[in-house]
Amino acid sequence: MAGLEVRDVTVSYKKKVAIRKVSFDAKAGEIIGMIGADGAGKSSLMHAVAGVLRFEGEVSYGGRVYRSPKEAEALKTEFGLMPQGIGLVLYETLTVAEHLDFFAHIRSLRQDAAFRDYRQKLLHMAGLSDFADRQAGKLSGGMMQKLSLICTLLHRPKLLILDEPTTGVDPLSRLELWDILDSIRKEEGTIALVSTAYMQEAAKMDRILLFDEGEIIAMGTGETLIDSVREYTFEAGKCPEKSSSDTACFSFDKRSYSLDPLPSPHVEPTLEALFFVNALRKKRTLPRLEIEARESKTEIPETVMEARGLTKRFGDFTANDHIDMRLKGGEIVGLLGANGAGKTTFIKMLLGLYPIDEGGLTLLGKSIRSSDDRQALKAKIGYVSQHFALYKDMTVRENLIYFANMHRIPLSTAIKRINRYARELGFNDYMDHSPNELPLGINQRFSVAAALLHEPVVLFLDEPTSGVDTIARAQFWEMLHRLKASWGISILITTHYMSEAEYCDRVVLMRQGRKIADDTVEALYAGHPDAKNFEDIFLSYYRSET
Amino acid sequence: MNLSVVKAYMLKEFTELLRTKMIIMVYLLPSMILLLFGYGIRMEVTHARTLVIDNDQSHFSRMLTAKFEHSKYFDTTVTQMSEAEALHRIKQAKTDIIVIIPASFEKRLLHGQKSEIGVFVDGAFPNRGMTMENYVQGVVLNAAQSVAGSLGSHGGLISINSRNLFNQAMRDENAIVPGLIGLVLLVAPAILSALMIVKEKERGTIFNFYASPLSRSEFLAAKLIPAFLLHSLNIFILFLWATEVFDVPFRGSFSLYWFAAEIYILISLSIGMLISVITSRQIVAVVLTIIITIIPGFLYSGILMPISSMAGGSYIEAHLFPVMYFNHIVYDCFLAGKGLASAKTAEYLGILILYAVILLLLGTALLKKELK
Repeated sequence: MAGLEVRDVTVSYKKKVAIRKVSFDAKAGEIIGMIGADGAGKSSLMHAVAGVLRFEGEVSYGGRVYRSPKEAEALKTEFGLMPQGIGLVLYETLTVAEHLDFFAHIRSLRQDAAFRDYRQKLLHMAGLSDFADRQAGKLSGGMMQKLSLICTLLHRPKLLILDEPTTGVDPLSRLELWDILDSIRKEEGTIALVSTAYMQEAAKMDRILLFDEGEIIAMGTGETLIDSVREYTFEAGKCPEKSSSDTACFSFDKRSYSLDPLPSPHVEPTLEALFFVNALRKKRTLPRLEIEARESKTEIPETVMEARGLTKRFGDFTANDHIDMRLKGGEIVGLLGANGAGKTTFIKMLLGLYPIDEGGLTLLGKSIRSSDDRQALKAKIGYVSQHFALYKDMTVRENLIYFANMHRIPLSTAIKRINRYARELGFNDYMDHSPNELPLGINQRFSVAAALLHEPVVLFLDEPTSGVDTIARAQFWEMLHRLKASWGISILITTHYMSEAEYCDRVVLMRQGRKIADDTVEALYAGHPDAKNFEDIFLSYYRSET
Repeated sequence: MNLSVVKAYMLKEFTELLRTKMIIMVYLLPSMILLLFGYGIRMEVTHARTLVIDNDQSHFSRMLTAKFEHSKYFDTTVTQMSEAEALHRIKQAKTDIIVIIPASFEKRLLHGQKSEIGVFVDGAFPNRGMTMENYVQGVVLNAAQSVAGSLGSHGGLISINSRNLFNQAMRDENAIVPGLIGLVLLVAPAILSALMIVKEKERGTIFNFYASPLSRSEFLAAKLIPAFLLHSLNIFILFLWATEVFDVPFRGSFSLYWFAAEIYILISLSIGMLISVITSRQIVAVVLTIIITIIPGFLYSGILMPISSMAGGSYIEAHLFPVMYFNHIVYDCFLAGKGLASAKTAEYLGILILYAVILLLLGTALLKKELK
């Protein structure tokens, strides 16, 4: 049986080593999950195995050995690579059908009846049969990823390499992607290497490799990996305040992690525990976040934002259909929904980045009718966009000073605040680096700092945690909660991580431009007694409506 | 090379060029450069604003004034203003030339005495000033012969009978437009080929090439052939602009012009390809291509000055860039028409072909099928 053997593979770039002497193997039909923080080396390893990146060491596939992209050339007919990034390998102006034709042609596939059946089957599995004539640039993120996957599957690869195919994709699309993958490997005996940021997904893989700083630090089935951290996982409780500095603990997602026993009872860990336990072992504990009260005295209004029947249309497509929503002072509201459900459009309307087509909006007690109405409110609103609008050629410090200037904050005050946030939000060590040298988690924190410089009353965050690793996300939420506690700030946040919904005071669910649920997390759980986690609740809403 | 693979990839390229409306740039840019520069660059001077101060008001002075008035090179105004006032007008840039005829002009000439005419020329732009000065001298010389004739003397024994070869009319268009074709066909195809490759790098779709069995030559063929075909049409479009709009004569062989231009496009495409090897952002690729092609394309095009009058470094540089060789052929085709019978033209065509082969091979060798 054709298997994959990776022997002592090292990938090094000019400055750093991405992957150091990594070895593993895989059998036909096996799905290998790869998890790890960003920058841990997963992508580099996948690129090396796919034969698109130079490496040291050797890889053997089906008994044929290659040590360089050149030697892998002959095997590429059997490989399929889907690199990281939504719609990365798609051509915006080509339609779905044209993509399939293109990939069939450049792979020299014989377009016989069997191929046409398979093509039809893939289109159907991806739910794209009705969209064959739509251009890729006009698909939602989830659809783009499904199209990318079926384009990669078109030549029936025997070795499938998928680099975070589900990042930034909604839970429903994630399940659909997984179903396609699972049925293909069963039928075709495909070896699949899949990296993922979603631990529920990793748990479904046959075997999991845990990456950390360029090495595989743990390998095994989900069961065995979870067993290895069971003794360090406790029911969520307050982490004991430590006097000595070498012990610490993390709390995230209803659990606490500590190498030393905690007073609370043990609970069943998830794969996320691996990251926390590893960080604890490597003493990579994070500085405790302390956020002082805001400098300026601000009245927190009872209702920060109220939308009544907000509607946005793009041509004949209704992106937001009469949305009502209320954001109270000091409240965190999570805005959830599939890709293309209209979350970003809604936030952009609130901010005045899109004109409102219909409906009324009251921000901080003021009814918004024109852009002049907003001007006075800008000083009270903070916004972090999906892609962190940072200037890549300026250091973190310069970026922050620039944002402070935009808000006309006096320089002395700005510098004082920047230094304070750098300390409090834990990016003090990175102040003189440029954003593209830094992990996503750090960029995300200092993007929030930039949005906080003018001490706003309300914060709009659009998918701030996509692609950010577990520990950084845990820290991020802790930061938001502390902000809320000490500043009384209101936050409207969108996310694709359903577990994060539980950190919100209230959750609003959107689907195809309409609001389909709006309630507290407790009430939603009460309404869905069968749900094990929030993902189940989300899916039940989505399924019942289709 | 698998031709059906190349065909499929090319189809994708054409579809993208059409749908992203890049095709507009492919045809707009070359014609725009030709029209803008073709109308914009003027070496000759016409309609120089001329003030003639006639202090004599005699038969001879009016004869001289009439010569100015009847020339297309001068827009003549005859006045009686003072010299100081006239000089003031030159300072205000309201006039270009002042001609002052002294009061005793006719009387002195009739007495066989020497008479001086005062001429002031605005020399702010040295080239233009010099040209205007020459024109004025020409007119005055011409008038002097007429005067001599009317006096019955033999003052006009020697007359200059000069003739400009190849560009008899001394038309600017004839000198500039063919050179512009050499500039345009160097810049535009290079930008297109650089963009077509770098776009895939920037977007990430280059992975489709890296991770598939597609060979490097297939990839390059799929990129370069569409660009080559699209720009081949520009050879004809530019030819029509030159001959129909700018009325440049075409005396040579069209097939030589066409063949040399196709080779030249290949060179330009290869330059774009080489740029795409070292860049990964579209904007950088465009700026770099423009710098690398426009500056030498303009300097060594022969528009500003003939290569033969260059010396030292610039002479060597001119010979390193392909513009000079192509423009020699183009000027020959448009103005001289000797074609391959001229050894130099044949030699330059050979150099162009060699250039194309070397650059194509270099680009193919440097293009890597792996991530950097």
